[in-house]
Amino acid sequence: MSDTLRSDYEATHLILESFNDAAKRGIYSLQEFFALAGKAIGFIFVKPFYTTDLFQQMDAIGVGSLGIVLLTGFFTGMVLALQSAVQLQTFGATDYIGSLIAGSMIRELGPVLAGLMVAGRVGSGIAAQLGSMRVTEQIDALNTLGTDPIKKLVTPRVLASLIMLPVLTVINDFVGILGGSIIAKFYLGKPASLYWRTVFEQMLAGGFTLHYIPNDFIQGLTKPFVFGGIISLVACYHGLKTTGGTEGVGNATTRTVVTASILILVVDYFLTQIILAVFPS
Amino acid sequence: MSDEEDRRGKAERRHPSEKDETAMPRRAHDSGRVRAAIRTELEEVAEEGAELQARTGVGHGERVITLENISLAFEDPILENVSFNAKSGDTVVVVGESGTGKSTILKLLLRLLIPDKGRVLIDGEDITGLTFDDALKVRQKMGMVFQGAALFDSMTVYENVAYPLREHTLLSEDEIEARVREKLQFVDLEPERVMDQMPSELSGGMKKRVGIARGLANNPEIMLYDEPTSGLDPLTTATITYLIIKLQRELGVTSIVVSHDIRSAFRMASKIALLANRRIGFFGTPEEMTGTDDPYIREFLGGF
Repeated sequence: MSDTLRSDYEATHLILESFNDAAKRGIYSLQEFFALAGKAIGFIFVKPFYTTDLFQQMDAIGVGSLGIVLLTGFFTGMVLALQSAVQLQTFGATDYIGSLIAGSMIRELGPVLAGLMVAGRVGSGIAAQLGSMRVTEQIDALNTLGTDPIKKLVTPRVLASLIMLPVLTVINDFVGILGGSIIAKFYLGKPASLYWRTVFEQMLAGGFTLHYIPNDFIQGLTKPFVFGGIISLVACYHGLKTTGGTEGVGNATTRTVVTASILILVVDYFLTQIILAVFPS
Repeated sequence: MSDEEDRRGKAERRHPSEKDETAMPRRAHDSGRVRAAIRTELEEVAEEGAELQARTGVGHGERVITLENISLAFEDPILENVSFNAKSGDTVVVVGESGTGKSTILKLLLRLLIPDKGRVLIDGEDITGLTFDDALKVRQKMGMVFQGAALFDSMTVYENVAYPLREHTLLSEDEIEARVREKLQFVDLEPERVMDQMPSELSGGMKKRVGIARGLANNPEIMLYDEPTSGLDPLTTATITYLIIKLQRELGVTSIVVSHDIRSAFRMASKIALLANRRIGFFGTPEEMTGTDDPYIREFLGGF
């Protein structure tokens, strides 16, 4: 074999090897992530129940995020109404602005925006807290004191996120629609009664499941439930995997926000496809 | 300028590190003096120990902790064929240079790590094959004091010490409070003063003491210490060392201490295990250690 061929062969071999290693690491991380998710969710039904921790987390995740969700929801509703008004005026369809705002907020913007906000605020907080606990040996201390850290730390955070994210989304939807009503009233001069009537008509227009549950609500509440799980599990996973002192804590926080935000947007697409297939309008 | 003034001026202008030269630790040339001091200290400690053993019966009974031919490797080998044991009431101090796998031994005892080869026996039970849940139960027999104390920083001192009691006992709140006070007093802390403080408000030595109190809360048979005296001033080091000795003597607790502080090690140890090149280079009493001719051990002791 000539020298050139040999060096080409070696270079290819090295590239393949590093690709192989990266793939193995990726699959191993996925495996660890799903193992953590399985354990954390399984522990919801196993004693002892850390109810105090659960309520603390519900307070931190839900009540703590209320301000940011109110602000983003309100302004998103207003800007959405403002932009839509321009388009609707072209077709003379400004009467339907309530319908447009309600549809967009409940099905899409409410869950995604609340998810992204909570990923930034809560996800980073969870990752930093668990990461610090890892580097200061507090996680090892829990283990040595006979407590499963997943049960004590991860399960309450996951459960609190699963409960609170849909609640935050409903609030986000409401203030978004409220923001839209202000634009409808003062910019387009539409009466509030017309706006709210079209909002309710839109909510009911998507059809019903089990005769009473509007399909829009199913879509609007399934998404934040899934996003809550994604945010808390990604944050706990990166937090517990932290190595390398304070720098590691910073990396874990950044990775959490990036991964959770991307996952929310990607999963949102696939979830919408599935929900539209299962609950057609 | 007189000679005297000149000398004083030069001394003042010297760099601090130069100034400290006279106060630097004495090295090999006076290791004989160090060994003599250690011997005197050992004799005193041995006398006190023998007296107490006769009085209380705390002694060297059956094996509580056994490490049998332990080998462990991550990317590189960490431990190879490591064996030693601790009998009831023993304090075994594992010494060695930094990065020789001393703390790994504690993680093996707690079954936070599983060895590639060999067995770890606690009270005669092999813990290497236990499930995660069974390992949690075995850990309840042990109290662990971490290098940085590892107090839960979201809880008060009281909640930290009460934590193992809330987790594993059905004690009433009054009983828990009584136990917390007792343990804090045992480690020479005033319960009234510290109970409501957060860990961030405590000094390094106080954190270590609260860590010991938390480790002791469940009245464990075994205490494990990871570098209990590192980063502490000489006075606090002496206090922590005294506490570990007090625990052994008053409560008969079996202890494994990982340390690089040879002076404290000699004060508290019934046996010393020297970890060198991934193996146990020496296992015996402090007296046997000072009497050895092994050049590595002599150098190791001389370094202090």
